[in-house]
Amino acid sequence: MHPLLVQYRAVVVKEVRQTVRDRRVMALLTLAPLMQLFVLGFAVNFDVRRVPTAVVDRSRSVESREHARTLLAGDTLRLIAEPHDERSAATLLEDGETSVALVFPPSFEKDLLRGDGAWVQALVDGSDPVRSSVAVDAVARHAAARASTLGMEQARRLGREPPRSTVTLESRVLYNPALETAVYVVPGIAAMLLLIVTTLIMSMGLARERETGTLEQLQVTPLRSSVLMLGKVTPFLLVGLLDVGLALCVGAWVFGVPLRGSLLLVALATLLYLMSTLGTGLLIATASRTQQQAFVGGFLFMLPAVLLSGVMTSLRAIPDWLVWLTWLNPVRHYVEVLRGVLLKGAGLSDLWPQFLLLSGFGVLMLGIATRRFHKTAA
Amino acid sequence: MNVIEVEHLSRRFGDFKAVDDVSFTVGAGEIFGYLGANGAGKSTTIRMLCGLLQPSGGHARVAGHDVAIAPERVKAGIGYMSQRFSLYLDLTVRANLEFFAAAYGGHGATLRAAIDAMLERMQLTSVRDAVTGALPGGVQQRVALASAVMHRPRIVFLDEPTAGVDPLQRRSFWQLIRELAAQGTTVFVTTHYMDEAENCARIGIMVDGRLVALDTPEALKREHAPGRVLDVRGPGLAQALDGLRGEPGVLDVSRFGSGATVRVDPTRVEAQAVARWLRARGVEPLEMEESAPTLDDVFLALTASAQRGED
Repeated sequence: MHPLLVQYRAVVVKEVRQTVRDRRVMALLTLAPLMQLFVLGFAVNFDVRRVPTAVVDRSRSVESREHARTLLAGDTLRLIAEPHDERSAATLLEDGETSVALVFPPSFEKDLLRGDGAWVQALVDGSDPVRSSVAVDAVARHAAARASTLGMEQARRLGREPPRSTVTLESRVLYNPALETAVYVVPGIAAMLLLIVTTLIMSMGLARERETGTLEQLQVTPLRSSVLMLGKVTPFLLVGLLDVGLALCVGAWVFGVPLRGSLLLVALATLLYLMSTLGTGLLIATASRTQQQAFVGGFLFMLPAVLLSGVMTSLRAIPDWLVWLTWLNPVRHYVEVLRGVLLKGAGLSDLWPQFLLLSGFGVLMLGIATRRFHKTAA
Repeated sequence: MNVIEVEHLSRRFGDFKAVDDVSFTVGAGEIFGYLGANGAGKSTTIRMLCGLLQPSGGHARVAGHDVAIAPERVKAGIGYMSQRFSLYLDLTVRANLEFFAAAYGGHGATLRAAIDAMLERMQLTSVRDAVTGALPGGVQQRVALASAVMHRPRIVFLDEPTAGVDPLQRRSFWQLIRELAAQGTTVFVTTHYMDEAENCARIGIMVDGRLVALDTPEALKREHAPGRVLDVRGPGLAQALDGLRGEPGVLDVSRFGSGATVRVDPTRVEAQAVARWLRARGVEPLEMEESAPTLDDVFLALTASAQRGED
């Protein structure tokens, strides 16, 4: 066998033995990501449903009751109280008991039947912008829909031609028809967990070798730094692949995440992505003297990498001058590949820029880490 | 044949000269001791000879290659054991040997046979499947030595190999080192235990980055600490000692705690004369013990003269 191959195999075997022996690391590599995926998949939920709503019906009429009933029949709002006046509704809002208060004025039915246009007031707690905007939207859409129904009824009653609405919106949601957050969020969480686990394992593993002096021992052997780096990375590439496989299973069974594209493409993207994260971990370790430093360094990299990736927030909400930074972020490209392949069934023809960037980062990071490692040795 | 040739070797860290113009040679199969206080430049020298650190000046050829030009070739021909033992404490003894031997390219059935032979030779067969970190310091020390010589290097560098190991283990460790040398391996060892240094064929003594003496232990003692050594102890010793320094035949007087070491030339003054002299100046009861000088005395004499040279 070629000496380089002997050395490479020795490093891989050593890493595997050390990893398997350490129960905490094994748990960190397999159980922790699964549990977090499970918990975060449920916790990170942008779906706004069952917003607590109070209704102050001062009209006490057939029309006001009908308006409230049909509005609350949807999934968005949920009736929790029917106070007698606006003052008590305001108190409920202030106490956080309710997020929306609908107020029907005493003249609601009268105004409506007279055809003068009736008013209904909605008081909304705006401290959670997502929630309040969804609630306001639901109230407004319902009012508009009801206005057009009433208009047609009135026209028919008066024996006139009903006004023809010129624009009809008929929306159909693609890829994620139920608009479920989990389906969108789970691939992102998988990418994030992979990032955390692999970066930390790698950077702290190498820093530990420096701390215990085994790194110096390695440096007096003829072992080349490139062989050492590749050998160290290999077992965790496989562990990362396994983690992604597990995440896909949990995603499919628990959260109904589909797999519309090629599994092979997911595996390839994962390998390239892991080269970036593992390479970054090694790079951080070459700049750290202790495991503690490596840990802190890891977080300084991971936090912005996650925030600027589109995992938790939409990249469209990021100011333009920050968007170019996200191009340098492997997490962003990997998440785009995962979502594309899983949800849309996208192929290499759609995702080649992401693949190109991911491989670029992977080679660059591993290369710089190896060079730096070599220099710090001299 | 020389396997280590060092000429005017220097290493600076900023303005600090860690190693300052050092020259020496070491022959094949020799046990060469490198002595010095902490920070005297021992480890820096070893690190340069192992190809871990680039020299700032001078040359060093180790195992036939220049350490500055071909450090990787040097590495292939040497073994290195640091004072921290530097083993994978979470792996078994056997796994450590397998890994370090494979790092030098060893594999297959020959490697397995070599590991078994090494385990036997280092008396490690019974602990081969134990996790290294759970073993006592003396056993870890033998594992570290075994890892360093698994690939049969021509030279093995041992940097403070016996630090923190009990005296009994240290003695059996030196037995292993002598066996290695008997089989033709050159041993370059640093230590600050002077009694251990007696095992070396030749000794170099480093003070503040300079090699101030280099010879066999006997020659060093003859040259730098001749005569006999009297360890004296008693009340009022401190005042009496000052006058003793100028007496004929008294070579050196140095104080240690409540006692003192007096080195005398036995052809000019007898121990009894020194005792009488001290008693006459009120040192009573006087305790006195006579012995031959040791490398400790050599080391102290050299350190003291180096410091006087600086003042």
